[in-house]
Amino acid sequence: MGRFIARRLAGMVPFIFLVSITVFVLIKLPPGDFVSNYAASLAASGETVDDSMLAEMRHRYGLDQSWPVQYWHWISGVAQGDFGYSFKWQQPVSSLIGERMGLTLVLSFATLLFTWAIAFPIGVYSAVRRYTWGDYFVTLLGFLGLAIPGFLLALALMYAGITWFHQDVGGLFSPPYVDTPWTLARVGDLAAHLWVPMIILGTSGAASLIRIMRANLIDQLHQPYVETARAKGLSETTLLLRYPIRVALNPFVSTLGWVLPHLVSGSVIISIVLNLPTAGPLLLQALLSQDQYLAGAFLLLLCSLTVLGTLVSDILLALLDPRIRFQ
Amino acid sequence: MSDITAGATLPQTSRYATASEARLMWLRFRRHRLAFAALIVTILIYLVALLVEPLAPFNPDKSNGRYVYHPPQRLHLIDHTANGIRIHPYVFGEHLARDPVTLAAHYVPDPSQHVALGFFVRGDPYRLWNLFPGNIHFFGPVNPRDTVFLLGADRLGRDMLSRIIAGARVSLSIGLVGVGCSLILGIFFGGLSGYLGGRVDWFIQRVIEFILSLPTIPVWLALAAALPKDWSPVATYFTITLIISLVGWTELARVVRGRFLALRSETFVTAAWLDGCGQGRIIFRHMLPSLASHIIASVTLAIPMMILAETSLSFLGLGLQPPAISWGALLSEAQNVTSIATAPWLLLPGVAVAITVLALNFLGDGLRDAADPHAH
Amino acid sequence: MVWQPVLATAFALALCGSAAAAELHEAPSLAALVTKGSLPPVARRVPTAPDVVKPTASVGRYGGVLRTAFRGDADQNAILRIVGNQGLTRWTPDYENVVPNVAESWTRSDDASEYTFKLRPGMKWSDGQPFTADDITFFVNDLLPDPQFFSSPPAQYVINGKAMRAEKIDDTTVKLIFAGPYLGFPRVLATPLGQHPVLYEKHYCEQFMPKYNPNIAALLKQSGQPDWPTLFRQKCGDIEIPSRWSNLDRPTLDPWIISTPYSGNATQVVLQRNPYFWETDTAGNQLPYIDTVNMKVISDVQSIVLAAIGGQLDLQVRHINTIGNKPVLAQHADQGGYVLETLTPTDANAEALFLNQTDKNPKLRQLLTNHDFREALSLGVDRDEINDIVFLGQTKPWQVGPLPADRFYNKELATQYTTRNVDAANKLLDGLGLTKHDGDGFREYQDGSKVFLTADVMVLDPASIDTIQLIKKHWADIGIDVGINTEERSLFYNRGQNNDYDIDVMPVPGGLDPTSDPRGWLSTHTLDSRQSLPWVAWYQSGGHSGERPSDNMVQRLALWDQWKQATTPDQADGLFRQILQLAAASFDVIGTEQGLTTFGIHSKKLMNVPNSMPSSWNYANPGPTLLQQYYFAP
Repeated sequence: MGRFIARRLAGMVPFIFLVSITVFVLIKLPPGDFVSNYAASLAASGETVDDSMLAEMRHRYGLDQSWPVQYWHWISGVAQGDFGYSFKWQQPVSSLIGERMGLTLVLSFATLLFTWAIAFPIGVYSAVRRYTWGDYFVTLLGFLGLAIPGFLLALALMYAGITWFHQDVGGLFSPPYVDTPWTLARVGDLAAHLWVPMIILGTSGAASLIRIMRANLIDQLHQPYVETARAKGLSETTLLLRYPIRVALNPFVSTLGWVLPHLVSGSVIISIVLNLPTAGPLLLQALLSQDQYLAGAFLLLLCSLTVLGTLVSDILLALLDPRIRFQ
Repeated sequence: MSDITAGATLPQTSRYATASEARLMWLRFRRHRLAFAALIVTILIYLVALLVEPLAPFNPDKSNGRYVYHPPQRLHLIDHTANGIRIHPYVFGEHLARDPVTLAAHYVPDPSQHVALGFFVRGDPYRLWNLFPGNIHFFGPVNPRDTVFLLGADRLGRDMLSRIIAGARVSLSIGLVGVGCSLILGIFFGGLSGYLGGRVDWFIQRVIEFILSLPTIPVWLALAAALPKDWSPVATYFTITLIISLVGWTELARVVRGRFLALRSETFVTAAWLDGCGQGRIIFRHMLPSLASHIIASVTLAIPMMILAETSLSFLGLGLQPPAISWGALLSEAQNVTSIATAPWLLLPGVAVAITVLALNFLGDGLRDAADPHAH
Repeated sequence: MVWQPVLATAFALALCGSAAAAELHEAPSLAALVTKGSLPPVARRVPTAPDVVKPTASVGRYGGVLRTAFRGDADQNAILRIVGNQGLTRWTPDYENVVPNVAESWTRSDDASEYTFKLRPGMKWSDGQPFTADDITFFVNDLLPDPQFFSSPPAQYVINGKAMRAEKIDDTTVKLIFAGPYLGFPRVLATPLGQHPVLYEKHYCEQFMPKYNPNIAALLKQSGQPDWPTLFRQKCGDIEIPSRWSNLDRPTLDPWIISTPYSGNATQVVLQRNPYFWETDTAGNQLPYIDTVNMKVISDVQSIVLAAIGGQLDLQVRHINTIGNKPVLAQHADQGGYVLETLTPTDANAEALFLNQTDKNPKLRQLLTNHDFREALSLGVDRDEINDIVFLGQTKPWQVGPLPADRFYNKELATQYTTRNVDAANKLLDGLGLTKHDGDGFREYQDGSKVFLTADVMVLDPASIDTIQLIKKHWADIGIDVGINTEERSLFYNRGQNNDYDIDVMPVPGGLDPTSDPRGWLSTHTLDSRQSLPWVAWYQSGGHSGERPSDNMVQRLALWDQWKQATTPDQADGLFRQILQLAAASFDVIGTEQGLTTFGIHSKKLMNVPNSMPSSWNYANPGPTLLQQYYFAP
């Protein structure tokens, strides 16, 4: 096991290097560059921008150099811990990413817990009590949740919150805590605000996991070993928990690795509607405007976390199911 | 579990004893009432998708300024006429009254004006499958100049019922092709990875990690620029769907791989191997069926996601371009406060998606139960 | 150009100011600081003759927080619109004339090539440093001609290829000199892009310029910036860049100064009152009335609408003001505690179809450059339906032309070919040899290939998408097929730059004050004169690159050059009328509807907000309605 982990960790370095090249190429792939997008954004809001200033900017940001040169400039900095400069914000990338990534991790973790807390018991219930009214109700609710785009759900809940409960629009903090340093009160405020995005972000995930849990458990419940265990006189609860659920957890664990990229890139639109100060919206803006070093840093970080997550999920897979062995 | 035990104690009549495997499955499936109902609903939905033109009461693109955001109309059956009571479907005529200050549209029903409805009426001309011209509609106002909005009208005054019917075609064909692609790729690579292990596993897993860590947004932006402008909306949409499925197979592949890693040390796999079964047979006949439930679940989960994928792509100018219609495109048009606050009927395509997915899900469950060798 | 009354107003205001200077009042929070001794008394903070502002309705009271929202991404100009672009001159609230603002008054030389500005004695920057003629000469003589700072000086300060120069006469008098007549200069100074001369405090900003700071290398190293212009812009800003609002130390002349900066991480931008602001009301109260401006970053427009409905915004005039949002906002006005104000239109057209006259497809180009083809397309559009459906019946059919209220209104330009006439359109198209039809009834070229145009629209402009959808239907009746491409903003502009489009659908400004943005009639706008962008390149390069425009456009551009050189307002107006008449004859751009009246919202408690204001970038609303004199009723 130790050797396996060491080998995987060592393999990560060239892998991430490869990803960094791809990421950079992808960021540059859409037509235009940061400066032309900047001009477009001003023109689109009816504002005018001076031509010479654009050429000026292009030169200043090194955008008139070739891709490999730009890439080298970036990656050699990253290797030394310097993630470069955001063109748009005129700020070092690291100062922009820090808090956003932190809040994203908090939100992702909370959403993951929420999703599992909901999906696990309901999934087990609807597998064990298959084809009962309770199962049908959960199924119906789950698929309705899946058939409504997250954006729409967020908008509808916010509309309801505003018209009936006079709630704030989105955000993770109430106004007095928005720009204050971290205190216990601010953490409390965050916790009080976290549940709304947690539910909206978690709904479709929970609906999916309920179905997956149910399906996998049903597959297990008919296995001969369950009958054997039952015949040996194990109580239903012990029986469920000891074997079938452990096996049915396999898909939960298999996909654990990309909870984070899912929540960041899959929920960009929802985060924008809910006005969450997380990584998604800033990443989308950076990509749309081709603020290349900012976008690159985000993506590199996310990718590294994904690779780590997959490793963790592989280790958990082995711990969960002794039949899986590493070679 | 009552159903299952009932299944196990089913009297073994001669009919069952002599039936072929396929026939057994069909008999078991028939017993599953919900699944059977789901099969009928699925067939009906596909019939709708097939016969869009005559089934839609109006041309789904027909806009009219007098019916902007027209709310759904109530259908009446009992008509008190001067000559006594007559039973026929009709709605009241309605007039637009726009509030001069707020500009909000109000529709005032006019009980004196009855719009008679009927079956197989003449209406907007169409060409079925772009081939056969016609103007007979299954249902609609008797007078072709009248209108009826059973599910309301959208911001351009187009009939929502007709649009939902028209959207079924694209959503249920192209959308499902994408799901099919991910399914095949996911099972193939996941199975290969989990069954063979070793270097193949290592390589496929790195490819999956690579695909998962790639940012999709710049891919979409580049694609939007690269797609030829004069492609038809449907062709563009088909390409997008294929690309979604090229990313979407990874999740299933990882689950299949995880389960295969566990299964390949099982005795029944070893037994099959010792029996001299080919690898393909071991994978498809012996290992895959034990995760049938998972596969059905992930397919039924992938369908709504595929149909709705364009609601988030529409922000980037991708997704289905007007005038082509799909359920996803209809829902992305409804993503604003105005729809939620004043025209909630624009969210009805979501119900259509839900009904379809529920039907396919119950159908899938029924098939699984029917095929499960342990269930009886 | 109304010229004498401007001076008269200035004179009157100045008189008023000195009369009121005797008894000055200030906000309680500032008074407390004065008592503590950390701030000089108000009389020493405002100019000896402050700019006296007549409140819209009544003299207000101090205090309160003004809440408004803006989209975080690329929306930094929203802050500019709230604090107002404090240039040497400013628009009157009705957007007709310019009056002195930072300058106390100005005079123009007879040939209109020299302007002498009188500044306000005793006026201070927000850090308490005096504002003098040196600050203006710092920009005009040091920064403007510096090739490292501007590789070529911004066009609004260039006449006959030469940038303006400044001459300091004394501390409060400065002369700006051009290489030729420049009648429009005072109006340019009132636009956001004309704020440069009073944007930079020399005392603070000179440290970022090698000319004044020999040790700049140390500063560069410390800040990690590549060169001094970058560092300068990061610290002192530029008109439209985000960093203008991210340095808390930057001195300004604005009514409020940044206290929570604008950055990629910002969830809000907060501004506090400028204790040295140089305007008072008629009762001698130093402005602004409102203590704090809180601008919440809400990136999604729908969420801004929700925030308004929820009563979380005191003032919002942008982003929510599409006509489609009006019913829902009007219906929730009581709940949100707001009222609607009118935003008068300044656009020449609500959604116009720019036909690319240098299309890459030669067969299409032949059609698109043909007047009859354009006329037929225009006759094929059912503008009444577009008005009813897309604009809720609130506007009327219109081509791209100045509005009736403007002095350049031209009936022919504005209303020709606006009535639908399918027969006439078909006849014109038949006349072009497009007589063959395919199975669906669409016209074909003589060689049997189909006439097919694609129209590009931006995702963020729903009205343009709906308009082109309707037009697609209308044009089917005249046998013309059009494909619709909705695109993300950057792709839309990219295709424009690459000359890779047939039709672009977008609003056209210039309904009022058309000379300040003539893109609809003249190929002058680098990104948005979409009649043909190669034409713009041709004009801007003096014929060296791009493509030679149509003869008619060449003629118009020549007149435009003469207009710039005009020495009297009458001469200038005459030339511009000729341009519009030529544009009417050429009929390059197909209009749909007149720019329409939209709306903004403000809290019922927010006073002195005018009932209506123009909506435009050059007017940069709501700024010119002077938010510093808005106040909250108790």
